[in-house]
Order: sequence, then C-alpha cells, then structure tokens
Amino acid sequence: MSEKGTPDKTELVKLKSAGDLRNTMDAYFSRLKEAAETRKRKIAWCTSVGPAELLYSMGFEVYFPENHGAMLGAGKNADKYIPTAVAHGYSPDICSYLTSDIGAFLQNETPLQKSGFASVPKPDILVFNTNQCREVEDWFNFYARHFNVPVVGIHTPLSITELTPEIVKSVEDQYHRIIPELGKVADRKFDMDRFREAVGLSHDGCVLWKEVLQKAKNIPSPINFFDSAIHMGPIVVMRGTQHAIDYYKILLKELEERVETNISAVPKEKFRIYWEGMPLWYKLSSMAKLFAKLDTCIVASTYCNSWVFDDLDPADPFGSSALAYSKLFIVRSDTVKEQVLQQLFEDFSVQGIIYHESKTCTRNSNNLFGMQHRLNKQTGIPYLEINGDLNDPRCFSEEQSIIAIETFVDQLAGRT
Amino acid sequence: MFRLGIDLGSSYTKGVLVDENDRMAAFHVVKTGYDFKKSSGKVISHFAEHHEIEYPVYSCGYGREQVGVSFVPNSELIALAKAVYEVYGRSCSIIDIGGQDTKFIKVNANGQVDKFKMNRKCAAGTGSFLEEIAFRLDVTPEEFTEFASEATQEVKINSYCTVFAISEIVGMIKDGATLPNIIIGIYQSIILRSVELSLVEDTLVITGGIPAMHPTIVDLFKQRYPDADSPEHAQYLAAYGCVLLNNKHQKEV
Repeated sequence: MSEKGTPDKTELVKLKSAGDLRNTMDAYFSRLKEAAETRKRKIAWCTSVGPAELLYSMGFEVYFPENHGAMLGAGKNADKYIPTAVAHGYSPDICSYLTSDIGAFLQNETPLQKSGFASVPKPDILVFNTNQCREVEDWFNFYARHFNVPVVGIHTPLSITELTPEIVKSVEDQYHRIIPELGKVADRKFDMDRFREAVGLSHDGCVLWKEVLQKAKNIPSPINFFDSAIHMGPIVVMRGTQHAIDYYKILLKELEERVETNISAVPKEKFRIYWEGMPLWYKLSSMAKLFAKLDTCIVASTYCNSWVFDDLDPADPFGSSALAYSKLFIVRSDTVKEQVLQQLFEDFSVQGIIYHESKTCTRNSNNLFGMQHRLNKQTGIPYLEINGDLNDPRCFSEEQSIIAIETFVDQLAGRT
Repeated sequence: MFRLGIDLGSSYTKGVLVDENDRMAAFHVVKTGYDFKKSSGKVISHFAEHHEIEYPVYSCGYGREQVGVSFVPNSELIALAKAVYEVYGRSCSIIDIGGQDTKFIKVNANGQVDKFKMNRKCAAGTGSFLEEIAFRLDVTPEEFTEFASEATQEVKINSYCTVFAISEIVGMIKDGATLPNIIIGIYQSIILRSVELSLVEDTLVITGGIPAMHPTIVDLFKQRYPDADSPEHAQYLAAYGCVLLNNKHQKEV
C-alpha cells in the first residue's frame, strides 16, 4: 500500500522482440494479402488448432478467423460488431469470437483494412477441427454458405480421458479423408514429403514456443501471460512454417538474456499466479498494468501453455498430427486437465490461481464443474474466480474485478 | 486524536472514527452520489466539527483512491474481514450485502481471509435489486420492514434479472398476491443469491448496508442459519477495518 503522491515504480519492461514480432506478423499478412489480390495462391481458412501443417504443405496461404476475432477484441471493437451477428440470429451467449467476426464481416469492416486489405481474404476452402469447440463448425459453415466454397472438417471426440489408439486412428482417418477435397481446391497432389516437412517445422516451432514459456519457471519470470498472449501469434498462424521458428529463436534469446541479467517481466515480482481461461482481450494492457502494480506476475496460463504440440513427428505425420491435436488440453476430461494443471502449478511455483469464467466460452472456462474446489483441496493453492468474457466487454465489470484481484493479492500477502 | 476510516461504496459513503483504544467512537453516512471526493469531504467535515482527526485517513471501496485529503487505500474485503475478526475473534463466514456487490468472505481462525467471492455481474442479490423494486413499488425501506412483518406466506421470485423480477412481481400483484408476502419473497430472493456464493460452514456474520436498512433480512437468515449474527454498526465495519489494518501498534507486535 502506498500513500497518495508516492506511487511505486512498477512499470512493465517491454520485450525488445516486439519489433520482430510485428515484422513477422506483417509479413504473414502481406503473404495473405498478395494471395487475396493476385489469386496466384489459394487461401484456406483454418481453425486455430486445425490441420495447418497439411494446408501449408499443399501450398495454401492460411487464414485463421480466431486470430481475427482476437484482433477485434484487442482493438476494443468486438461490441461494435456483436449486435449485428445477434440480429442475424446468432445468440449473444455463443462464442464472441464468432459473433464479433461475423458481425464485422456483415458490416464489411476488418482491422486488416488498416494494412491495405479490401476485406478479409476470400477463402477457397474452409477447414476446421472441432477439438476446440463445436462453434467453429457453425462459424465456418456461415462463410462456406456466403462464399459458396467447400468446408471440410475433422470431428474430434470431446472430454477424452484415455487417448486410445481407436480415437487417434479415427482422427487420423479423417485427416486422410479431407485430402481429396483439399487437392481439388489446391489443384495439386498431396505430397507426403512436403507434409513431413511441415510437420517437422511445426514440431520445431512448438518446441521453441515451449522453451519460451518455460523461461517463466525462473524466479523472477522474464515473461508474463500478457506478453505470451501477444507473442503466441506466430505459433497460432504460422505453425508448420520456418517463419515461426525464426521468430521464436529471437524471442528465446532475449528471454535467456533477461534471465542472465535478472530482468523480470514484472519489476518487483512478489507473487506468481496462474491464469485459467481466456484472456480479456479488450483489457489486456490495463490488466497487465494492474498486476504489475500489485507486484504480481502471471507466470503461466492454460491459454498459452496448452499450445504446445511437441508430439508432432515427421516420421509419422498423420498419426502424430492426430495424436497431438487430440491430446490438446481443451479436448480432455477434467481428470486429465486437473493432472496437467497440478503439474503446471508445481513447475511454475504458482501461489494463486485466477479462473476467468468467460461468458461466451464455456469450453475454455474450467471452473464450471467444480474443478476449482477439487484443485484447491488437492493443492491448497488459493484461487479467485472472475466473470468476464474473451471479447464481449459488456460481460465484464472492471471495477468489481479490480477490487477482487487486489483483494486476492492481499490475501496471498497474508499467507506469506 | 481520532483515526478515520472511510468506506466509499457505490451507494453510500460510510465514515467511522476510531479512538486510541481501537474502539469505534462515532459514525456518519452520506449518499455517495456522483462525486467520491465530495461525499468523503462531507464525512470528514462532519467529524472535524467536533473531533480532531489524525491524517492520513484510511479508505476502501470503489472510491478508495478518490479522497480529497491524504489517505491510505485498502481492500474493502480484507478490511471487513479484519473488523469482523476483531469483533468475533474466531473463524466465520461473512455475507456482506451492499448497494452494488454481495460478498462472501471466509475468515480463518487466525483472522486471515481464506477465500472470498463476489456476486456475478448483475444486480441479483444486491441492494440495487432492492432499490429498483422499491422504486417501482413506491415503497420506502422503512415501509418494507413494516410490510414484511405482516406477511402470511412467502411468494417465490424466480428471476435473476431485476427487470424480469419486476415483471414477475407485477404478474403476482395482478394475481392477487399481497405486498407483505411479495416483500418476503424479495428478501428471500436476495438471501438465495447470496448463499449460493459459497458454502456457509461456520458462524455466519451478516454485514453491509442492506441488512442494516432491512433488518428482516437478518431474521430470515437466522431461520436458515440459527447461529447467524449481524453485529452492531454492521454497515461501518469495512471502514473500521481500514483503520485496524493500519494500526501501528499492531504492526510493531
């Protein structure tokens, strides 16, 4: 606590790699823009944990509507677009990535227009995997109807406890099944060597991303959740390409230097917190400042830390893709999720957990079936639940949440 | 010299003077309105007329950083827990019903906050719910209490939403339900929204402005939890706790 007029210096230290990140993302969007304008390369739309490697291996430029949804949220524009999607029959209670993205499309607006795009890049095909949620299929179907282009997908079983060979085989079979349609649209034959290469690049990118995240095990941590949520862009949209690898080598080097020179993401790190659930995209910056002011670093999160697909193996590209994308945290049962979380709490020396119950994303809100109570009993780690949403700011009470977060940190202070 | 604790809530600004023996000595409450500095200024001026105040003052609540004099901000939940522990000296569960928030706080045997939870992002279970319904029914808080004493049975209000709850009440009036029975239903609705925040596993302590203004709510809580209690000056406890949290003597121990 500080008296008025004597604020603590708790400013966040920005990552120098942010410039390289911008360049990497700009180059990605330039490739997409060129493909959209010249039509020399085909464009596939893909869900964030869809078969990106397969698409890159077949020569597509790949666009991710979920990434676009996050851009709308981070730009604080989602609530401008959601009502339009709602008026078209999409409930305000379903995924606000979907409603803001479709709403923006119906209003013919996109933040990509600032980068010279006329609109979002028109798809030649849409490819989903329901491992994230069922909404992605409905979302892609909207655009398939609008553009009159094919939509193909992989249906992954949900709430998996034991990842049996039968489940993996079923997903692997579905990978094979979508290839003919992809080949028709791409106007090229599937090439196993190119797929192996893309899977290998994806694996290497994931391993680097994992190493980046694991730097936060250091006390104090050189990186926090708010950095990771932004810097995960390349692993989402360029997984399976050299571009992601090149960027994470730069970021990793900076973090290694930070650890060596004892530079921490939060200048006076006293408390280490785990963030369960989606980011509040429209409050990323103010939340980052709030936690820094409270000398608290969010060192790990389900959102960022579950984006590691190191099971990918070029020796068995289909089988390992099926395994990696079915092993994903979000598609697992609470039993498995609890084991994963306990390990993360231990690995990252977590003192407290914040569960963000996201109004429109129940699949990414893990406090809905009593997990918070069970993990508290098992680990003794205190927790806080806050109500909000990934993109829709109307579902978030900032003042109340600030009071709750400040109190939670005070609560942690009382325990030390 | 008195120390001053101020709780700048969304609806009311509560001030309490604390003497050298850490006892609450004087109380004052004003409506917060639109200007926290103005409301805290009114509280400070009121006390300054007859008492010597030691600065800084100790604040909490939504307007905790909006005090016109030197101040030390505090978490209102931690402050409330501190004050309740000062009064009871044992582990307990607090339900605090204020204008905009309902809070559950579990205080352990050492007086520390073990866990807490706040209401979800709507009026259900808060004073705002009651205020809106009172406005629509054109009934004052005092009349609420009088009417409640005449209730013969409880009607059940189902809706979480204040607007829908009012529609529901209008329907009940149309169907012949009496105002006293409806008021008990409204009170029970608030109680249900607050007890779902967490399990009450030990002594329940009820605090906040709403139970202070609507004592029937405390009686209804007691029917559910026989050893429930609402201490004297329950509305001022967070402000009191702010002073206790910054007690220099205690810090030296």
